[in-house]
Amino acid sequence: MRQLGFSEFVFPGATHTRFSHSVGVFHIARALMAVIESDPANRTHQSLVALAAALVHDLGHGMFSHAFEDIGKRINLPMAIHENVSDALVRESEISEVLNRELGRGFSEEVADVIRNKNPGNLFDSVVSSQFDADRLDYMQRDRLMTGVQGSGVDATWILANLEVGTVRINADEEEAGEVKTLVLGPKAFHAAEHYVLSLFQLYPNVYLHKTTRGAEKIFSSLILKLYGLVQDGRNDLSGLPDNHPIILFLSNPNAIENALLLDDALFWGSLHFLSNSKDKLVAEYASRLEGRRLLKCIDVRRQIEGQIPVRRGMTPEDRQEREAKITIKVKTIMKEITARSIERERNKERQILIDEYRRSPYKKFQDSQTPLNQILIRHAGVIEDMAHLSSVVSGAESFEVNRAYVSEDDTEGRTMIASIIQNSVGEV
Amino acid sequence: MSAYDLHERAASIVSDAGGELIGRTRLQKVAYLSRLAGFSDEFEFEYRHYGPFSDDLADAMKLATGLKLVTEEERRTDWGGWYSVFTTVQQDGVRNLERANFISAAARIGAIELELAATAAFLFEVEGFGKDGKDDPWEETARRKPEKAGNGRLQKARIAFRKLREIPTPIPLPEIV
Repeated sequence: MRQLGFSEFVFPGATHTRFSHSVGVFHIARALMAVIESDPANRTHQSLVALAAALVHDLGHGMFSHAFEDIGKRINLPMAIHENVSDALVRESEISEVLNRELGRGFSEEVADVIRNKNPGNLFDSVVSSQFDADRLDYMQRDRLMTGVQGSGVDATWILANLEVGTVRINADEEEAGEVKTLVLGPKAFHAAEHYVLSLFQLYPNVYLHKTTRGAEKIFSSLILKLYGLVQDGRNDLSGLPDNHPIILFLSNPNAIENALLLDDALFWGSLHFLSNSKDKLVAEYASRLEGRRLLKCIDVRRQIEGQIPVRRGMTPEDRQEREAKITIKVKTIMKEITARSIERERNKERQILIDEYRRSPYKKFQDSQTPLNQILIRHAGVIEDMAHLSSVVSGAESFEVNRAYVSEDDTEGRTMIASIIQNSVGEV
Repeated sequence: MSAYDLHERAASIVSDAGGELIGRTRLQKVAYLSRLAGFSDEFEFEYRHYGPFSDDLADAMKLATGLKLVTEEERRTDWGGWYSVFTTVQQDGVRNLERANFISAAARIGAIELELAATAAFLFEVEGFGKDGKDDPWEETARRKPEKAGNGRLQKARIAFRKLREIPTPIPLPEIV
């Protein structure tokens, strides 16, 4: 299973696997745990649970991870969602047998609970899941290395060297709810932490949300959705795949974990030749496009609207926030109309227009109330503070959002329709 | 007229709370309970660290503050914590008195008790705790949030939820107390 799915279309080196990532996460989790366990009072059974959770946290990812997961969420296929698969594998499989044999009865249940993150957050959980966990520290370094992007470096050595355990208060709004121990950075790592946040933020537009990668993911999603529709209608014969092909088996019975486990990237790539000979027009077209890397053309709606509402000199942070909100509302309105018209076109058996919408905050300060587990905390002048309160760069970073439409290169009508919706929106808001 | 209006709907929660709503946790939990009570269905919720949470609501409120429908002021407690206070910039007349009555009552509940109550309701509705008569959503809430459920807060949350259930709503809140 490739860590970055279709990113290989853009960055030929991005061929690393979930396995190498998982081993890397385990390595970093051990380094983080060494910080925690430098205080003998913190050496408990829970550290073993957290370390095991770090190693197996991504076990349930299916082919093309997030694209496949999106399909699972859209049409409610529980075994296409990695948390569900991981949960089932850790609780009841050869994995649980090994964990329970080596580390004690019921150990696998504890590991699964940490991955599910439904147990109360604590110091050990923060190694597995937090703003600053082993997962991110690994994938940021690994994905940057393999894609070759130069702008998102993380000084992991310096960050790890400056980590310590701190005690902070937790709250719900204005009410205090006790204290927890969590990982905190010493003051010398302030700039490294600031850079970490910005690096993570830059990986999204540059790598994970690259228009070509996302365009391929959208084709993949549409292709699998169409296959699912065919299978549900009992028309496997149109798919181009034999009835016992793992993709058909999964789509026939998507609740069976053994069917989900049959799927991986290699199996999908291997099926493309047959799918491209499908009797269904859309399946054949999309399989052939992925096979030959002939992707749909991207119309970046948001970029076009940003150009219509330019940044002015002398804008205050509030003015910028207002501009951002105006752009977002205008773009959301346009995308809603494009989506509605696309659905209408599909109903009339016309060409598909694929929609891509995604929003990512650089740093999720205060997303609900503050919790130490979703903050980066810095010990500064003897007080432990949220990074966003200390760094104007971090607090001022705006959300990154994509709003795109993908249209076939020969779909002149579709392109004209989108251009006209954008043109008609001039002057709104 | 924009086809997207979630920011206006998010702002109307603050408006219905009486023009001021203290805290992001309170905003999320009030919105979730008002959804359960049948007053709205525009925001989808999922389970997060603090219980039911809606990304759409968080984003919509960010837009509402960007467009100055609502102001968000960050305040610091005397023990060093931070919280937000949302205030409507221009108070519109209340459109739905029943909804405003429910929202303002929910917004007056203590943040921790409200979080516990909304979490128990979510666990019952979405995860099925208590639906088959076997598990108890309050016990599960206490298991997941031991640091918040102590000091008699869980009992207070149950009482607060019972009082909310007594307010007339289009859909009765789940009978978990």
